[in-house]
Amino acid sequence: MISKKNIYKHELIGLPAEVVSSTHSGYVGMKGLIVDETQNTLVMEVDSSEKVIPKKGTRFKFSLPEEVEVNGAKLMFRPQDRIKKAGR
Amino acid sequence: MPRRRKKEERKIAFERINVLFGLAEKYGLKGNTQRANRYAHLAWKIGMRYNVTIPGNLKRKYCRGCHTFLRPGINCRVRLTGDRITTVCEKCGRFYRYPILKERNASTK
Repeated sequence: MISKKNIYKHELIGLPAEVVSSTHSGYVGMKGLIVDETQNTLVMEVDSSEKVIPKKGTRFKFSLPEEVEVNGAKLMFRPQDRIKKAGR
Repeated sequence: MPRRRKKEERKIAFERINVLFGLAEKYGLKGNTQRANRYAHLAWKIGMRYNVTIPGNLKRKYCRGCHTFLRPGINCRVRLTGDRITTVCEKCGRFYRYPILKERNASTK
Protein backbone atom coordinates (compact mmCIF):
# COMPACT_ATOMS: atom_id res chain seq x y z
CA MET A 1 0.00 0.00 0.00
CA ILE A 2 1.08 3.57 -0.62
CA SER A 3 2.50 5.24 2.46
CA LYS A 4 4.81 8.02 3.50
CA LYS A 5 7.74 5.65 3.20
CA ASN A 6 7.25 4.47 -0.39
CA ILE A 7 5.60 7.49 -1.99
CA TYR A 8 8.67 8.17 -4.16
CA LYS A 9 8.31 4.73 -5.69
CA HIS A 10 4.55 4.37 -5.78
CA GLU A 11 1.84 5.47 -8.18
CA LEU A 12 1.06 9.18 -8.09
CA ILE A 13 -1.68 9.13 -10.71
CA GLY A 14 -5.06 9.37 -9.04
CA LEU A 15 -3.85 11.08 -5.88
CA PRO A 16 -5.16 14.48 -4.80
CA ALA A 17 -2.28 16.93 -4.58
CA GLU A 18 -1.39 20.53 -3.99
CA VAL A 19 1.58 22.67 -5.01
CA VAL A 20 3.20 24.00 -1.84
CA SER A 21 6.06 25.96 -3.32
CA SER A 22 7.52 26.51 -6.74
CA THR A 23 10.22 28.55 -8.45
CA HIS A 24 7.40 30.00 -10.55
CA SER A 25 4.81 31.66 -8.35
CA GLY A 26 1.96 30.92 -10.77
CA TYR A 27 1.97 27.24 -9.81
CA VAL A 28 1.74 27.80 -6.06
CA GLY A 29 -1.59 26.85 -4.56
CA MET A 30 -2.81 24.69 -7.44
CA LYS A 31 -4.96 21.89 -6.14
CA GLY A 32 -6.39 18.87 -7.89
CA LEU A 33 -6.04 15.27 -8.99
CA ILE A 34 -2.88 13.99 -10.65
CA VAL A 35 -3.93 12.56 -14.01
CA ASP A 36 -0.66 11.90 -15.83
CA GLU A 37 3.06 11.76 -15.33
CA THR A 38 6.16 12.09 -17.49
CA GLN A 39 9.84 12.20 -16.62
CA ASN A 40 9.87 15.94 -16.01
CA THR A 41 6.25 16.86 -15.34
CA LEU A 42 3.11 15.98 -13.47
CA VAL A 43 -0.25 16.71 -15.09
CA MET A 44 -2.86 17.97 -12.65
CA GLU A 45 -6.56 18.39 -13.23
CA VAL A 46 -7.55 21.77 -11.82
CA ASP A 47 -11.20 22.77 -12.26
CA SER A 48 -11.66 20.41 -15.25
CA SER A 49 -8.61 21.75 -17.10
CA GLU A 50 -5.26 20.00 -17.28
CA LYS A 51 -2.22 21.82 -15.96
CA VAL A 52 1.29 20.61 -16.70
CA ILE A 53 3.55 21.26 -13.73
CA PRO A 54 7.33 20.71 -13.85
CA LYS A 55 8.73 18.47 -11.13
CA LYS A 56 12.00 20.38 -10.89
CA GLY A 57 11.87 23.17 -8.34
CA THR A 58 8.40 22.30 -7.07
CA ARG A 59 7.24 20.88 -3.77
CA PHE A 60 4.01 18.87 -3.79
CA LYS A 61 1.74 17.95 -0.94
CA PHE A 62 -0.08 14.65 -1.43
CA SER A 63 -3.00 13.70 0.70
CA LEU A 64 -2.88 10.02 1.46
CA PRO A 65 -4.83 9.54 4.62
CA GLU A 66 -2.01 11.59 6.17
CA GLU A 67 -0.43 14.54 4.36
CA VAL A 68 3.00 14.08 2.82
CA GLU A 69 5.22 16.75 1.36
CA VAL A 70 7.41 15.66 -1.51
CA ASN A 71 10.32 17.30 -3.28
CA GLY A 72 9.54 17.21 -7.00
CA ALA A 73 13.21 17.06 -8.02
CA LYS A 74 13.46 13.61 -6.41
CA LEU A 75 10.67 12.33 -8.65
CA MET A 76 12.52 13.13 -11.85
CA PHE A 77 12.46 9.72 -13.49
CA ARG A 78 10.15 8.08 -15.98
CA PRO A 79 7.12 6.71 -14.15
CA GLN A 80 8.14 3.09 -14.74
CA ASP A 81 11.76 3.77 -13.66
CA ARG A 82 10.82 5.43 -10.41
CA ILE A 83 10.44 2.14 -8.53
CA LYS A 84 14.09 1.23 -8.90
CA LYS A 85 15.68 4.66 -9.14
CA ALA A 86 13.82 7.03 -6.83
CA GLY A 87 14.33 7.31 -3.10
CA ARG A 88 17.85 5.92 -3.01
CA MET B 1 25.71 1.65 -4.53
CA PRO B 2 22.96 0.09 -2.49
CA ARG B 3 21.63 -3.29 -3.47
CA ARG B 4 18.30 -3.39 -5.29
CA ARG B 5 15.49 -5.06 -3.44
CA LYS B 6 13.79 -6.82 -6.30
CA LYS B 7 11.17 -8.54 -4.19
CA GLU B 8 9.99 -5.21 -2.81
CA GLU B 9 10.13 -3.63 -6.26
CA ARG B 10 7.89 -6.33 -7.69
CA LYS B 11 5.42 -5.88 -4.88
CA ILE B 12 5.14 -2.13 -5.54
CA ALA B 13 4.97 -2.76 -9.31
CA PHE B 14 2.08 -5.18 -8.80
CA GLU B 15 0.22 -2.65 -6.66
CA ARG B 16 0.79 0.09 -9.21
CA ILE B 17 -0.53 -2.09 -12.04
CA ASN B 18 -3.71 -2.69 -10.06
CA VAL B 19 -4.11 1.01 -9.28
CA LEU B 20 -3.62 1.97 -12.93
CA PHE B 21 -6.10 -0.58 -14.23
CA GLY B 22 -8.63 0.59 -11.66
CA LEU B 23 -8.24 4.16 -12.92
CA ALA B 24 -8.33 3.04 -16.57
CA GLU B 25 -11.65 1.35 -15.90
CA LYS B 26 -13.01 4.43 -14.17
CA TYR B 27 -12.09 6.80 -17.00
CA GLY B 28 -12.92 4.25 -19.68
CA LEU B 29 -16.49 3.96 -18.47
CA LYS B 30 -16.77 7.75 -18.37
CA GLY B 31 -15.74 7.85 -22.03
CA ASN B 32 -12.25 9.28 -21.65
CA THR B 33 -10.63 6.71 -23.95
CA GLN B 34 -7.35 8.55 -24.31
CA ARG B 35 -6.67 8.56 -20.60
CA ALA B 36 -7.75 4.94 -20.14
CA ASN B 37 -5.36 3.87 -22.91
CA ARG B 38 -2.53 5.87 -21.38
CA TYR B 39 -3.01 4.14 -18.01
CA ALA B 40 -3.16 0.68 -19.59
CA HIS B 41 0.04 1.51 -21.46
CA LEU B 42 1.78 2.66 -18.27
CA ALA B 43 0.67 -0.48 -16.45
CA TRP B 44 2.10 -2.62 -19.26
CA LYS B 45 5.40 -0.70 -19.12
CA ILE B 46 5.71 -1.23 -15.37
CA GLY B 47 4.98 -4.92 -15.83
CA MET B 48 7.70 -5.23 -18.47
CA ARG B 49 10.32 -3.39 -16.46
CA TYR B 50 10.01 -5.45 -13.28
CA ASN B 51 9.11 -8.80 -14.77
CA VAL B 52 5.66 -8.74 -13.24
CA THR B 53 2.84 -10.48 -15.06
CA ILE B 54 -0.41 -8.60 -15.35
CA PRO B 55 -2.89 -10.54 -13.17
CA GLY B 56 -5.35 -12.87 -14.84
CA ASN B 57 -8.44 -10.81 -14.13
CA LEU B 58 -6.91 -7.79 -15.94
CA LYS B 59 -5.14 -9.63 -18.72
CA ARG B 60 -8.12 -9.62 -21.07
CA LYS B 61 -8.92 -5.97 -20.46
CA TYR B 62 -6.11 -4.59 -22.57
CA CYS B 63 -4.76 -5.27 -26.05
CA ARG B 64 -1.37 -6.92 -26.08
CA GLY B 65 -0.69 -5.53 -29.55
CA CYS B 66 -1.28 -1.82 -29.04
CA HIS B 67 -1.85 -1.63 -25.25
CA THR B 68 -5.24 0.02 -25.46
CA PHE B 69 -7.81 -0.50 -22.75
CA LEU B 70 -10.50 -2.70 -24.29
CA ARG B 71 -14.15 -1.91 -23.79
CA PRO B 72 -16.53 -4.31 -25.50
CA GLY B 73 -18.85 -2.56 -27.93
CA ILE B 74 -16.75 0.59 -28.09
CA ASN B 75 -13.24 -0.32 -29.18
CA CYS B 76 -13.36 -4.09 -29.33
CA ARG B 77 -15.66 -6.67 -30.87
CA VAL B 78 -16.64 -9.76 -28.89
CA ARG B 79 -18.18 -12.71 -30.71
CA LEU B 80 -18.97 -16.29 -29.85
CA THR B 81 -17.46 -18.50 -32.53
CA GLY B 82 -18.08 -22.17 -31.93
CA ASP B 83 -16.27 -23.20 -28.78
CA ARG B 84 -14.29 -19.96 -28.53
CA ILE B 85 -14.81 -16.35 -27.57
CA THR B 86 -13.20 -14.14 -30.20
CA THR B 87 -12.22 -10.62 -29.17
CA VAL B 88 -10.99 -8.24 -31.86
CA CYS B 89 -9.22 -4.97 -31.06
CA GLU B 90 -10.76 -2.37 -33.38
CA LYS B 91 -7.65 -0.20 -33.28
CA CYS B 92 -4.93 -2.61 -34.38
CA GLY B 93 -7.02 -5.57 -35.54
CA ARG B 94 -5.35 -8.07 -33.28
CA PHE B 95 -7.65 -10.85 -32.20
CA TYR B 96 -7.75 -13.23 -29.29
CA ARG B 97 -9.48 -16.56 -29.11
CA TYR B 98 -10.27 -17.77 -25.65
CA PRO B 99 -11.86 -21.16 -25.03
CA ILE B 100 -15.28 -21.23 -23.46
CA LEU B 101 -14.61 -23.34 -20.42
CA LYS B 102 -17.17 -25.56 -18.82
CA GLU B 103 -18.78 -24.07 -15.79
CA ARG B 104 -16.77 -24.82 -12.71
CA ASN B 105 -17.56 -24.62 -9.05
CA ALA B 106 -17.94 -21.09 -7.79
CA SER B 107 -15.03 -21.65 -5.43
CA THR B 108 -12.49 -22.24 -8.19
CA LYS B 109 -13.25 -19.03 -10.01
